[in-house]
Amino acid sequence: MKRGFFVKRTFLATFAAFSLLSGPGTARGTIDDALSFALEAAQGSVKEGFTVREEYWGGDLPSGQPKPIAHQLFKGNEYWFWMGTDCKGAKISVHVYDSAGKLAEDEFWQKGQKAAARIRPKRTGTYYLLVEIEKSPDERTVWSLAYGFR
Amino acid sequence: MNERILCALAGALTLTGTAASSGAPAKTIAVNQFPKEAQLVERVLVPVPSEVFAVLDKLGKPNWPDVLRPQKGLATPAGGKEQISLLLGVVIAEGFIAVEAENGEEVKNIGNSVRSLAKAIGVEKAVSRRANSIVEYAEKRRWAEVRKELDLALTDVRQAMMELNSESLAQLVSLGGWLRGTEALSTVVGKSFSKDGAELLHQPVLVEHFHVQLQSLPEKTRKEGVISKILSGLHSIRPLMGTEDGASISEKDVREIGKICAELVASVNAKTK
Repeated sequence: MKRGFFVKRTFLATFAAFSLLSGPGTARGTIDDALSFALEAAQGSVKEGFTVREEYWGGDLPSGQPKPIAHQLFKGNEYWFWMGTDCKGAKISVHVYDSAGKLAEDEFWQKGQKAAARIRPKRTGTYYLLVEIEKSPDERTVWSLAYGFR
Repeated sequence: MNERILCALAGALTLTGTAASSGAPAKTIAVNQFPKEAQLVERVLVPVPSEVFAVLDKLGKPNWPDVLRPQKGLATPAGGKEQISLLLGVVIAEGFIAVEAENGEEVKNIGNSVRSLAKAIGVEKAVSRRANSIVEYAEKRRWAEVRKELDLALTDVRQAMMELNSESLAQLVSLGGWLRGTEALSTVVGKSFSKDGAELLHQPVLVEHFHVQLQSLPEKTRKEGVISKILSGLHSIRPLMGTEDGASISEKDVREIGKICAELVASVNAKTK
């Protein structure tokens, strides 16, 4: 089973079933549930003119094992990355690092099942989005990461 | 999926810190030092063309009609599904340029071409509504909406292909769009060269991603003319785009990137016997 991928919002049912394959004691939520938290986190930024991408990343992770995602960013744009999980009691985070592994975000926040990071890239190129389940009552926790730009 | 080059990119980093679990993020990370369970997410999300055009909008007002390559009638399917998928991506990218050029007739033509090509690879249903919206908004000269529909058409086509277990074709649509978009970007940057503009072409993670995608195609497909040419072209483009973030891309390299992409787009457009 892949532990990280991206999907499109309108085909969530397929992936909901996919997540449930993890079995008892592992990830219990679904990626569409996790995404709904991520999109809730995005609401304020959408009002500020950010365009939210239809496709997004998702998967499940054990606590304390951050996962990097390589992504192309363009200098001149501003980006928000919003992460969500439907696991009650979980604490999650997302941070943005440049290609040299240096923290590059301008702002971040985390509120339980939601977290976000904002960046105005100083350079065009590869960045790493580091997603982490910091703590969770479950062995593995389903997460989703969406992003927007303006 | 074998994203070996992405892993190599990540592997170039060294351990200088650990990820934080106590609120404050680590100042540095070392991607190659993460536990096996937490290795790099395998998939690359290719930016939508709007992301690049959003930056270009901020850089100035390029002469888009000069960049636009008007179609002679409807784009007609040529070659196998691979070439048609590439062509669909190229045509959608042309749609973005037509929007920037505010050429309503060309946008409408492109909307109809998208429908025709999508039909040839069995995803017409997924894209039909978008194609109608593109034509409708173009008639009303509502360019922001056309741009949004083009983004969504690209996403819908890719998703429909994945639903049909044609993920490799979905990647080819993205690749076609990227080739034409990069050619257009090179033209715009080359005509009014600036370091900031040229830096937009620094896209190593995308070049490597597309290279890996093509390498994963069956050998027979890889050896077909257009795919083989693109593989070779990506190999040539990679060093021109700068190997490290922040590296300057010269005016000459911008022209060379544009030339290579233009040749590859011409191969995609070529009618096969």
